[in-house]
Amino acid sequence: MPKFTLNNQEIEAKPGQTIIQAAADHGVEIPHYCYHPDLPIDGNCRMCLVDVEKMPKLTPACTTTVNEGMIVRSDNSRVKEAVRGVLEFLLINHPVDCPVCDQAGECRLQDYYMVYGLHTSEIPLSMKVRKRKVIDLGPMVVLDQERCVLCSRCIRFFDHVTQTGEMQFFGRGDHVAIGTFEDRPLDNPYSGNVVDICPVGALTSRDFRFKCRVWFLHATDSVCGGCSTGCSVRIDHRDGAIFRMIPRRNPEVNKSWLCDEGRLSFHELNNTERIQRPLLKGSDGSQAPVGWADALRSVDTRLKEITKVNGSGAVLGFASPSATNEALFLFKRYLQDQMGATKFEFRIASEDKNVSEREDEILRRRDKHPNAMGAIKLGLISDDLNGIRGAIEAARDGRIKAAMVMFLAPLVRRAGDDLAEKQVLELVNALEYSVVIAAHAAEWQKAASVVLPVTAWSEEEGTYTNFEGRVQFAGKAVEPVGDALPVWEMFAMLLHASGAASRWMSAEDVFVTMTEQAEAYRQISLEQTRLPGVVVG
Amino acid sequence: MKKAAKVINVRHRADSGSSFAKEIFAPLAGMGLTMNRMVDNLTGKVNATIRYPEERRAYSDRFRGAHILTAREDGSPRCVACYMCATACPADCIYIEPAEHPDPLIEKYPARFDIDMLRCVFCGFCVDACPEEAIIMSRESELCSFTREDTVWDIKRLMSRPELPEFGLGYRPNKKLVDSTITFTPVDKEKKKLAGRVTLKEDVEMIPNVTGDPTKD
Repeated sequence: MPKFTLNNQEIEAKPGQTIIQAAADHGVEIPHYCYHPDLPIDGNCRMCLVDVEKMPKLTPACTTTVNEGMIVRSDNSRVKEAVRGVLEFLLINHPVDCPVCDQAGECRLQDYYMVYGLHTSEIPLSMKVRKRKVIDLGPMVVLDQERCVLCSRCIRFFDHVTQTGEMQFFGRGDHVAIGTFEDRPLDNPYSGNVVDICPVGALTSRDFRFKCRVWFLHATDSVCGGCSTGCSVRIDHRDGAIFRMIPRRNPEVNKSWLCDEGRLSFHELNNTERIQRPLLKGSDGSQAPVGWADALRSVDTRLKEITKVNGSGAVLGFASPSATNEALFLFKRYLQDQMGATKFEFRIASEDKNVSEREDEILRRRDKHPNAMGAIKLGLISDDLNGIRGAIEAARDGRIKAAMVMFLAPLVRRAGDDLAEKQVLELVNALEYSVVIAAHAAEWQKAASVVLPVTAWSEEEGTYTNFEGRVQFAGKAVEPVGDALPVWEMFAMLLHASGAASRWMSAEDVFVTMTEQAEAYRQISLEQTRLPGVVVG
Repeated sequence: MKKAAKVINVRHRADSGSSFAKEIFAPLAGMGLTMNRMVDNLTGKVNATIRYPEERRAYSDRFRGAHILTAREDGSPRCVACYMCATACPADCIYIEPAEHPDPLIEKYPARFDIDMLRCVFCGFCVDACPEEAIIMSRESELCSFTREDTVWDIKRLMSRPELPEFGLGYRPNKKLVDSTITFTPVDKEKKKLAGRVTLKEDVEMIPNVTGDPTKD
């Protein structure tokens, strides 16, 4: 463990760490453009110059490994003067079109100019080297060559992370620009990441382009609901509308990356109509909207009747692997404690088998549900039913009379999703009494006896268990639509209506009960579920 | 120790300054002044009030009235939808919807630009914030309308200003840039009956739809 001095402060670095990394670990930010913690080191931007004692010249902090007894200064006038000079060079040909640039507000050029620069530009706009603007680079990225500081982060991303190598430098001297060969579109499934890693406004998002200035957005930490990898993300929203989703750095799960499908998955929330109010099927066979109290009382009474007549095995709990751990925990608790139900299932397309199966070598996984592992760990699985086919057969045989069917539509679509909905319809049709819990309206829900509207992903807080059993907390970003309730809250109300003790006031309360009572989640705390999450047994 | 204050009876002081003659003549002197004023007013010697709306006060050059969106030479808005005005606005009365401009050097323009004149507090922060001199203010202060919807001015209304020759330009801190596009001269102070009128002496092409000959008052 080499010890060194940074700005008169004794710091212990990890072996092999560079100065910039050791400084960042101890909360000292050294300005940089080309350095990125998840990319190979390049050392081309020269912004991170620091003064190392006994070295004749300033040295870049991103390429210099820490040695025992090194004395480093990043805050003396010599360093500041050098950084100001580098910044002036980088801004020579920069068009300074911040008013129309989407990066404004989170731009490193703006930030460092305010800290180190504050110089007057010696180059009038007419003398600047003009390059191409608004170049269409595929479905995710728009390129502006003028704003680029040539840090090569995007080039290194495609060379080393996706290993597809689409981007490169073109030209010489003043006229160097980044681009793709013949402006070919970036069509690889991770291209959206270059927008995040670009420290300036050269690469901007096509999806987010001109939608909102970033300083209006509110950020909520969450977990991507697109697949079982469970990447840490940040949801940026304003006035109840989600504008974008960007990755949070989680070295244990997704590093700094996020796939394009996950990045755009929030659009799926608004693609189909939402259920606004609880629907109850009347004697004439049509569904009519009712209040929550009536709906829940009716569900509880009816399920109890069926249990009384047909025995406790007649009620099935069919869970959704897209719901939170808290929702699944109370779902099981209600049916088990109040109805004595023994049959639980969540599998439609063998989610338990492909939950950790990779779709590609970077992040994506075959199971497009964020919490299939949570459903397995909470025991919402039964060997004698073995998936939805078994449940349908049991319903047709008359072994199962009623069921609570939770179905939350996946945020990332795949071929076969229609088949899944068809199978759920088959199950609902085969039942005498069916309670459907869903967020989005669908044609097949017309067959259900009761439809209860719940919140979709991003509208309730809770924890998700990813493919490796890592429990991660996701916050609530936007308000639910209509009368929709969070799933945990609905079951807490249902338990209350059923006469059981129900003392949960928040998802956190349910989490605490879950860690006390569910075997798999024993001994974990809510703090542990924040970045980078905690792996359970 | 603090010195004890001397106690004064105010009534004694008033009595000592008063006399019988003063008691009698002071109201008469006051009445005389009132009569003089009345005569002056009736004969038109002095005129204390402005007969609004037939007459109008000459407002200052910095008056913060209804906003103007200035235009480029081809008549399209100078605004690049950067949201600086909406960010600076303390009343949150500016709503902008940007769109892609065909010219990559302009890149962005407002497809919608609405100002809610009922919410607006006419502070002029939007004018200060604008990096393009795209929003300036006029001296127009008569913003009544019969429906609430009419008080939300859209981009068309903010750019086409038929009332402008009557009221003139208001607050615009960066005169150099604005003067290159809009020129105006305030009228002489002597023209009492047309107080506050302004003349647009040179071309007003940058503000489209200003009708009439701007050289005439």
